[in-house]
Amino acid sequence: MSEPLRNRHVRHPMTRRTVLRGMAGFGTAAALGGLAAACGASASPAPATPAPPSGAPSTVPATPGASLATPSPVPTPVPSPEGELFVYNWADYIGEDTIAKFQDKTGVKVTYDFFDNIDTMLAKVGNGNSGYDVTFPTNINVGPMLARKLIEPLDHSLLPNLANLGPEWANPAYDEGNAHSVPYMWWTTGIAYDSAKVKTGLSSWKALWDPQWSGKMAMLDDYRECFSAALIQLGFDINTTDDAQLDQALALLQQQKPLLRTYTTDDISVLSSGDVWVMHAWSGDVYQVTPDRPSVKYFLPTEGAVRGSDTMVMLAGAKHPVAAHAFINFMLDAQVAAANTNLIGYMGPNEAAKQYIDPAILADPTVNPSPEMLAKLHEIQDLGADEAKYTSRWTKLRAGA
Amino acid sequence: MRGNWRRDAILLVPGLGWLVAFFAIPLAFIFVVSLGTRDQFGGVMLDHLSLDNYRRALEPDFIPTVVNSFKYAIATTILAILIAYPMAYFIARYGGRRKALLLVLVMLPFWTSWVIRTYAWMILLRDNGVVNGLLGVVGLGPFQMLNTDMSVIFGMTYGFLPFTILPLYVAIDRLDPDLVHAARDLYASGRGAFIHVTLPLTMPGIVAAAILTFIPTMGDYVTPDLLGGAQTTTIAKVIQNLFLSARDWPFGSALGFLMIVLTIAGTVAGLRFLRQEVIG
Repeated sequence: MSEPLRNRHVRHPMTRRTVLRGMAGFGTAAALGGLAAACGASASPAPATPAPPSGAPSTVPATPGASLATPSPVPTPVPSPEGELFVYNWADYIGEDTIAKFQDKTGVKVTYDFFDNIDTMLAKVGNGNSGYDVTFPTNINVGPMLARKLIEPLDHSLLPNLANLGPEWANPAYDEGNAHSVPYMWWTTGIAYDSAKVKTGLSSWKALWDPQWSGKMAMLDDYRECFSAALIQLGFDINTTDDAQLDQALALLQQQKPLLRTYTTDDISVLSSGDVWVMHAWSGDVYQVTPDRPSVKYFLPTEGAVRGSDTMVMLAGAKHPVAAHAFINFMLDAQVAAANTNLIGYMGPNEAAKQYIDPAILADPTVNPSPEMLAKLHEIQDLGADEAKYTSRWTKLRAGA
Repeated sequence: MRGNWRRDAILLVPGLGWLVAFFAIPLAFIFVVSLGTRDQFGGVMLDHLSLDNYRRALEPDFIPTVVNSFKYAIATTILAILIAYPMAYFIARYGGRRKALLLVLVMLPFWTSWVIRTYAWMILLRDNGVVNGLLGVVGLGPFQMLNTDMSVIFGMTYGFLPFTILPLYVAIDRLDPDLVHAARDLYASGRGAFIHVTLPLTMPGIVAAAILTFIPTMGDYVTPDLLGGAQTTTIAKVIQNLFLSARDWPFGSALGFLMIVLTIAGTVAGLRFLRQEVIG
């Protein structure tokens, strides 16, 4: 029932995060899907790895990280891709003609579907027979998907364009050596404010605790993001599992709650509507509203901030593995990656693409923070069983008086 | 006459089958899940069952949200009946040939998705919204209306009002106007006739309307989510969070199960009370 609303930001990148997590019909559907997925995952063994098509040499998984050091271990001969490919991506999260160009270049017929909620995607691919070859999980989902045997290792010899990645992406914490995933786009979480209302310069997370803006502030309805905002202020690791540190963070968030107007599931629109003046926000959302609301500004607090990324993975049971590699490699092409960024306004990890990216985007600190700031960005990691330390405290915070 | 109950029992099959398949079995499922534990990927482990989740659910942490839920549900039910009763009365009494049309108009909002209508309220009630704009013309405001208790109760009342009107309409429509005339003939005042004749005779409709409004309001998390704010968390919202964001299904199931039990108990107690005290 909420589908039309979710897609209301046509051709803007916002929808990938505009998740009305609480929507009635949709939430139920996702929950049921999750149930089906949970049952499926426990009941059926992981689907067997499909054999490469005849004529293709068997592919050897590359040593993690190796292909970055030696960018072109060209296999002989290069296997030819299958005739079709099924891609499942976030809504509005790719260049306008990227798919068409890939089809023209390779002759592979692409079926391209999209999701706007990570839970939908996980539910759909969760039983291993979704029919999709490539999908785009957020980095924190890579580990759990791997543990559930939902994704296949990548053959780096088929991904020569991995050489285009910036060196900081060679060995991400969520997937050593990019063995099972390739980074696609990244974003930051910081603070957005309406400069027409907030005249003083803001620079710290403390802005979101300032009684001056009481009733005019919002936090994202996302437990890891909220705890990160508190943990960074306290000088702790955003992936800490230390109970004492988490209790301090909870106390800080409890202190903040009475000052807040809302924990928003509607993301940036509470700011662009004028209901709040200062809010916890995702960079992509800010980029999306600034053309219409130039007074909306965004900054990354000096204490440090959060950075997240989405990846490309090949699903277990993918029937078109060579085409899947060809697609991932195509997406890593410098010009293709630049075209994607130019439309959606998210920075990618592609160093070689930078020369083709619109200079206005590169100069926009919202999208492309300075190297000094980059050094202070932390990634949220999936903590497995320890996630419960966060969720129980989050429930306590939200339920509390 | 007791009728042929064996033969007539067949009439129960579709309804009972439906209830078993779509209520009893899922409820049992929820109960079983509530005894399990969360695995590290947010799945459900059922290898050692325990009542730990219920122990957690009964911690005082959740009292404020349960209080919020009851507060909103009771306020909404009362407000909705106060609005719906005169309206249903008017349609039943004076609707004439247009009764069907008027009832269709009552149902008309359902033709638009509830979420879209709730979004419309957000646009109307926000600080720079239409309502504050109009108030500004006469020099009032702006008031913070969105993200408050008021906006939640308002949104719920708006959303569930048709559920309140319909049972009241049925009850009032069935009321024989001659009984009211008789009361008036016997020198009852207009108010007296209403209090001693109309109101008691339409009480079953009021009870049905109250139940049909109260129960969905207790479980509503969309309205508190969209129209509410940081201070308006309801227990339904906490449960939704546990399922979709925290992915702690066992604990969410325990809270949900308690909520269902509490709602059923509350409804039954309410019915008993009304039957004894009001209907007599």
